[in-house]
Amino acid sequence: MKAIEIKDLTFTYPASQTPTLNHLYLEVEQGDFLAIVGNNGCGKSTFCKCLNGLIPHFIDGDFSGEVHVGGLDTRTSDVGTLATQVGYVYQDFENQIVRPTVLDDASYACLNYAMPDYLERGRAALKMVGLSTREKDYIWQLSGGQTHLLALAGAISLRPDILILDEPIAQLDPQHADEVYEILKTLNEKYGKTIIVIEHHTEYIANYCHHVMLMKEGGVAWKLPVDEALRHVDELQESHIFPPQVTQAAKRMQQAGTLAKTAKLPTTILQGMSTFQNCRYQPSFTRPTLKPETEKPVVTFKDMCVCYRSFKGEDRVVLDHLNLTIHKGDKIALVGSNGAGKSTLMKLMVGLVKPTSGTMFLNGQDVTGQRTKQLSPYVSLVYQNPEDMFIKDSIRRDIAYAMQVRQVTDHAKRTDELLSQFSLETLADRDGRLLSGGQMRKASLAIGIALNPPILLLDEPTANLDIATRHDILRTLKAIAATTDTVMIATHDMQLVCEWASRIVVLDDGKVIADGTRDDIFGNPTLLETVGIRPPEIFSMAQALDHQALLYTVEEFTSHFKEVGS
Amino acid sequence: MKWKQKLSENILDKLSIDFLKNQVLKNAYGNTDTLIAKLDPRILIAWYLFFGIVPWFVNDVAFLLTCFLLVMITTWLAHVAGLVMFIFVLGVFSQTGYLLIVSLFFGGNASTILPLLILTLKVTTCSLASITVFSGLDPDRLSNGLMWYGCPERLSFSIAYAYRILPMLMEEFQNVLLSYRLRGNPPDHSGWMGKIRYLIYQVRIIMQAFYPLILNTAKRSRTTVEALEMRGYRYAASNRSVKKMKLSALKVTHLDSVFLALSLLWMVGGSLLMTWI
Repeated sequence: MKAIEIKDLTFTYPASQTPTLNHLYLEVEQGDFLAIVGNNGCGKSTFCKCLNGLIPHFIDGDFSGEVHVGGLDTRTSDVGTLATQVGYVYQDFENQIVRPTVLDDASYACLNYAMPDYLERGRAALKMVGLSTREKDYIWQLSGGQTHLLALAGAISLRPDILILDEPIAQLDPQHADEVYEILKTLNEKYGKTIIVIEHHTEYIANYCHHVMLMKEGGVAWKLPVDEALRHVDELQESHIFPPQVTQAAKRMQQAGTLAKTAKLPTTILQGMSTFQNCRYQPSFTRPTLKPETEKPVVTFKDMCVCYRSFKGEDRVVLDHLNLTIHKGDKIALVGSNGAGKSTLMKLMVGLVKPTSGTMFLNGQDVTGQRTKQLSPYVSLVYQNPEDMFIKDSIRRDIAYAMQVRQVTDHAKRTDELLSQFSLETLADRDGRLLSGGQMRKASLAIGIALNPPILLLDEPTANLDIATRHDILRTLKAIAATTDTVMIATHDMQLVCEWASRIVVLDDGKVIADGTRDDIFGNPTLLETVGIRPPEIFSMAQALDHQALLYTVEEFTSHFKEVGS
Repeated sequence: MKWKQKLSENILDKLSIDFLKNQVLKNAYGNTDTLIAKLDPRILIAWYLFFGIVPWFVNDVAFLLTCFLLVMITTWLAHVAGLVMFIFVLGVFSQTGYLLIVSLFFGGNASTILPLLILTLKVTTCSLASITVFSGLDPDRLSNGLMWYGCPERLSFSIAYAYRILPMLMEEFQNVLLSYRLRGNPPDHSGWMGKIRYLIYQVRIIMQAFYPLILNTAKRSRTTVEALEMRGYRYAASNRSVKKMKLSALKVTHLDSVFLALSLLWMVGGSLLMTWI
């Protein structure tokens, strides 16, 4: 029996003219690990909601065709029965959790469906995702990754055979992302679950999934075994999916004639080892050296300490005697695991957090403990969640707000300029919350630089974005960096770090433990190991081929590796 | 002057959203190990009904004083958060307490003070009993207790869910307020007029911040509604056996009997003793 069988599925939302899902056919084998890819708006999420019966039972619309899940017809089975066949984890998983304690939430669905052994089921689910030790904890004591695992546990407590996860790692740092995929792998291999993920991180697809399904305009373009699927480089890129960096590099080298046309495109580093085995590293002496720190200091921290009061137990030390000098013109990437103090450091610079002890200098003056009002003309902060930046009912008014209240002359003109700089003109009168992820991020960046601050701080500017949008934002960031003196970005996105930053500061436990160029940081394996930084895949590929090679982008790789004899 | 400035800054710090969040969480879940939290919620609700209703119909000072002393002890046993106590004191004082003090100052005698004292005692007893029960029990146990008494499932779910999203809402609210702080241009707050202007500005910002807060929350709730459907919330609401399972965790223990017996003993003994005095 197939796990999923879909025949001629068409679905149209009530307000829409065109169908979101259009004559879709699909069969999924039991025990498959399937990745669904496709550009924004191709109907991925709608498709998944057809599998768990939310469509047609809970969400209205025009539904035709047949969907069989685990042998059940979704039209005749209710959502409750289907929930025992299909578990679903949302992209905004934290809103899926409704109970205050961990075990309570994990067993909630089982209790609702009147299963007498609901607590055991909850415990068993927690064990599968590795949260057994936390069952008595309150949900707000969990980290982002653990919260995701709890949402997963809540779904598997009903023992469904099929699990669907909508962008499971979009909000997680690399370690937590690995953790989630390792658990999915165990669920797939050890417990025989069929797993379906909507995913655009092709590196993870290559390492964990068995099949890939490309969706296009509401239908299935193809469903192929993972290696074969990822080698359709051009077709994927048309749908704004970026294949793994090693695949891209090999493809480009073939086009440039530096790699044999007959070579199989690799999808993982392991495969790359054999594809690139005859390639040799050719060091160049013209590698751009990064700007030395000759500029004058703009911000200096001396022995900074910040403690937070906690609601039970001891106070938490977030910054611990931190010393750091930021120079004019620096493009700093601030990296480190969750809870290392990155956000706190940024909030400190805009006066939103008061230091427990220590001094902060701005342009040579002691500004320790000054209010946000005094600091905001010099430092601007754009935070991680763009929704929280929208305080007015249109992005035009949001961008204008800071200038209006300061009576900046011709603020209307400047607002228009910003709108066009970020290509937001057509969206100017819409509420920021209703825009897509990338548009929201751009709007929040425009808000952040409205006052033309000499120092700009960005907290995770590429989090939660699909790869195509990420490229767009990266271009925008490069444009901003050209006009703003000093920019600091806190991020987990190492591709962003490698392509953008001139200086990398590594935080660990509230201290600066490393500070330097990308060669200083990524060329130091012990350091990467201690703080759990994962370099971009292409860097690891180059390292695996030759220890001398410190290459950070696909372009650098393809111009420094050549096949011998070609 | 310096210490004065320190003090006012300190008070402003205390009133931050962080502090409020902390206090709410502490109030709801921070004291699960107290004596009151260990009692059966049904017993505690019955106990509360007595101290919440009976004092209104009795005018005997001795009895009221005994009640008052008892609920004071239970409030102390429940380890109620500081903020709640502060609001309580403020509330009682603004209702009747100030009248008591004023009448004392303006030559009131026993005949004016006594009715006021009785009223104040009634109000405080009733409030303290509520505080003991509603803040001493964690919301889950409270809602299970209410469900046993036949309150609709929706009410008890709402109580538990409200506590689950409260920290999220407050964080969201805090972030929106931070946006105003980052981009706004608050008036200068030196001098008395400045302080007043600053206060008015802050109140206005807090009011304006509700618009984005509501919209952000509405956006979140789309997922929650669908998730609740999948997780069988509607199914459970119409199923009697689910209710039975939820309530099977409730058990009356010796501790409850001892608590009730002691309360009774205290009331009888205390009233007699007071009357005799």
